[in-house]
Amino acid sequence: MTSTVLKRLGVALATIFGASIFTFVLLRKVPGDPARAIAGDTATEETIAALRKSMGLDDNLFVQYGNYMGSLLRGDFGFSYSTGNSVGTLLGQRLPATLELGLLSVIIAIVAAVLAASFAVYSRRRWPDQAVRFASSLAMGSPPFWIALLALMVFSIQLGIFPGPEGRLSPGMLKPPNVTGMFTVDSLLAGRWGTFANAAWHLLLPATIVALGPFAFLSRLYRNQLRGTLRETFVAVSQSHGLRRFPVYNRHVAPHGLLSLLPAASLLFADLLAGSLLVEKVFGWPGIGSMTADAIIQKDFAVVQAVLLLAAVLYVVVSLLADILMTAADPRTRVGAR
Amino acid sequence: MNIASATPLLRVEKLNKSYAKGIGGRHRTRILRDVSFELHRGQTLGLVGESGSGKSTTAACVMGLTAADSGLIEFDGVDLTTLSKAGMRRMRRRIQMVFQDPNGSLDPRFTVADLVEEPLIVHGVTDSAERSRRVSEVLDRVGISVKQAQRYPFAFSGGQRQRIAIARALVLNPDLVVLDEPVSALDVSIQAQVLNLLSELQDELGLTYLFIVHDLAVARLMSHDIAVMNAGEIVEAGTSADVFDNTTHPYTRALLDAVPGARRRAAQNRTVAQQRTTAALATAGTADAMEGM
Amino acid sequence: MQSNAPSLPVPRLTVDGGPDPERNDPVLSVRGLRTDFETAVGTVHAVRDVSFDLRKGQRLAIVGESGSGKSAMAMSLMGLVPPPGRVVGGSVRLNGKEIVGLDDAGISKVRGKDIGLVFQDPMAALDPLKTIGSQFVETIRVHQDVSVKAARKMAADLLGEVGVNDAARRLSDYPHQYSGGMRQRVLIAMAIANDPSVVVADEPTTALDVTTQAQVLDLLAKICDERGNALVMITHNLGIVEELCDSVNVMYAGRFVECTSTGALFASPGHPYSKALLDCVIDPATARRGALPAIPGSPPDLSVDEPGCPFAPRCPIGRDQERCAVERPQPRTLSNGAVVRCHFAYDPQGETA
Repeated sequence: MTSTVLKRLGVALATIFGASIFTFVLLRKVPGDPARAIAGDTATEETIAALRKSMGLDDNLFVQYGNYMGSLLRGDFGFSYSTGNSVGTLLGQRLPATLELGLLSVIIAIVAAVLAASFAVYSRRRWPDQAVRFASSLAMGSPPFWIALLALMVFSIQLGIFPGPEGRLSPGMLKPPNVTGMFTVDSLLAGRWGTFANAAWHLLLPATIVALGPFAFLSRLYRNQLRGTLRETFVAVSQSHGLRRFPVYNRHVAPHGLLSLLPAASLLFADLLAGSLLVEKVFGWPGIGSMTADAIIQKDFAVVQAVLLLAAVLYVVVSLLADILMTAADPRTRVGAR
Repeated sequence: MNIASATPLLRVEKLNKSYAKGIGGRHRTRILRDVSFELHRGQTLGLVGESGSGKSTTAACVMGLTAADSGLIEFDGVDLTTLSKAGMRRMRRRIQMVFQDPNGSLDPRFTVADLVEEPLIVHGVTDSAERSRRVSEVLDRVGISVKQAQRYPFAFSGGQRQRIAIARALVLNPDLVVLDEPVSALDVSIQAQVLNLLSELQDELGLTYLFIVHDLAVARLMSHDIAVMNAGEIVEAGTSADVFDNTTHPYTRALLDAVPGARRRAAQNRTVAQQRTTAALATAGTADAMEGM
Repeated sequence: MQSNAPSLPVPRLTVDGGPDPERNDPVLSVRGLRTDFETAVGTVHAVRDVSFDLRKGQRLAIVGESGSGKSAMAMSLMGLVPPPGRVVGGSVRLNGKEIVGLDDAGISKVRGKDIGLVFQDPMAALDPLKTIGSQFVETIRVHQDVSVKAARKMAADLLGEVGVNDAARRLSDYPHQYSGGMRQRVLIAMAIANDPSVVVADEPTTALDVTTQAQVLDLLAKICDERGNALVMITHNLGIVEELCDSVNVMYAGRFVECTSTGALFASPGHPYSKALLDCVIDPATARRGALPAIPGSPPDLSVDEPGCPFAPRCPIGRDQERCAVERPQPRTLSNGAVVRCHFAYDPQGETA
């Protein structure tokens, strides 16, 4: 098992290295001159040329990449021209907001998918299964930002039961003391129930919308896995021993379904990133997603590059963890044959 | 044996293969140990053994599907282990294989006619009239009509699918056919049909069979020579009659004794009287029940 | 194969000194059982009007080929027919209790307790994520109110009984740490853990190597001898029938076509299908290269139930008989006690009856 983990670790490092090269080259080859964008429409050609030189954009790609990696290793993620902050600072401010949103989305997606798929399969009737499949098709087929706009219109403007696109807290509400940066957690730690309720109220609608894509994907996966496991001989065997339906389902079917969710974690994560990008923008959520959306429009290289690399690292770490967990959870890989 | 078979069609000599096991491959499991045999033109060699005996690995080596660590596989005078990929591809035309599970080897998206034609295309028969003539000829030979052949594999029973798989193997006019448990997934009544077909084809076309089989009765019925494998080794080899009637190796003896029915017949003299009583009582019960139908 | 053993006298229980009280009441009584599978292309009538009785200690073989309905019948006895199949008619009484139509709670009390099932593929029959011990303990505690510790002790004893060495320690192992033969031993031990009066074994050795197969058959025979439970052996292997069973029902196209004693079947098969099956068996002691007698054609399509005899198109007699094509044969008794569904059965007392 150790050798497997080491092998996977090597692959993970290579993937991150590849991703760093890829994002670096990609951003320098897309049309649009960042120096021109930063200098503004009124700048003279001389100013732009000077700016290009100071940003190192005139060096060849290898030198640029070398400089970039060098500063990365020193913990310097570069400078955001559009905001005037170091990228490191920006990330520090915005990452907790996105993490909070992302974690809640994952929890919502997994819980909802497992419950819906279990109900659909366990009930044995046709309509729950069709309902779940319909819901997942709908969730899969609708662009999250469009749903986000629609949800804002219905739930906050028409019905008024959720806040508008005002970010993480109502205007005038004080932030909780910073521990994790996640407002719900920090307010609980500080015992400020009002702040907690307010933060959760702001979090719920965007988190649910971000969760839609992953829910669609996971509910289908889990449903198919359950149905496959139900056909396994060992399920019939435990029934033949006199186990009733629920214990059979609970002890011999569901664990196989849950195990199958682990390798999906990395795909789920990709879904989550894509979903949160525009949803954050729509809800005015001050996270990585909205920051990235802005940076792309501004051609703010350093920010986009840092976010892409961060995404790649997170993606690789998540799938590595999922793999290790999978290996540890399945006795067939954990315990050798006799 | 006889003059015609002085040079064997297939000669396997001291075939060895092992797999790495554990971290860093410190332990090696030997799955073939000095496997040697000769197979003469028009003959059948039954390679008998239980799962894990190495019989299927031997077949895979002959087919070039897996490489042996050492040893010689000589087909019609050419050492297959030294052939280039292209050379092996040309040779593959003369060595075909029929698998145990016809479902797994027939792609469900193609019609039977397409499936049987495919090997001809792969091996560069460009004349389509020639191809379809060959396809209908071989299908006819295995008992599938041209009309049936326009259907898809799922429309056929297990026995018919195995006939299709045989047609697919024979369409290239091979010299050697490796039969890997071709009837063990079939019912007894169907098994007999397929075995008869294989025997007829061998007699008519002069085919040479390497017959991988676990069923001793089938092995004896089909084979001129038998090699019994256990734990990667050939433990006993000889003509069919020799191996079965003058068994020398205890493993072969154990295999023979384990066949259900054979054991009972051996012990029958002792228990004949007792059996009759049981039988009589049992029949009474069943007869009563059926009268109630 | 057709030995020259004399044909059996007409057997009747009352002939030799009255009914044996031990064997009188059937432990399993099946009447008019019918099981259908609703498929996209039509209804497959897998089991069509099957009736039989099984008495204590009896070992009955149900012989048939794939598609004969024998496995669907075995599953029907357990109320375990997989969807889209279901029992559509008839009665299955276990120790006097009707089990057709029971709900999940009702049938669960019967499964494992009155009737145990041994499945065909031991490699797929155990949950790979759970230890043998936990699966075994679960099986025991479904029907017996004992502590986990006591159940574990019982499990270890049972494993020892079926020939698993070092059983107490091996309870902590996972299924993949057991070989195929050992897994089938474990599954047999689990099937008998709650002492069912009937054990149904559905092709229990088909997936095993021949030497392992012999050991498992010996084990089944030993267990039936020691515990006195009745055995229903579902198989296509006539060698197993000959070796293990005292009576045999030959199944074709969802019906029993011959019900007889093992001795009578091998001495003089009554139904042409039984005879053809026996002819197909290759004996390793005498096999020689050459043409084997084969049954032409393939098994019938079970979604249609035509009026005549379903074996007629493949039958050496029925092929040419008008009667076999139009009239379904009803069960009748031959002079050796065998009950057959055939208009032209081979009767040991004459050429054809």
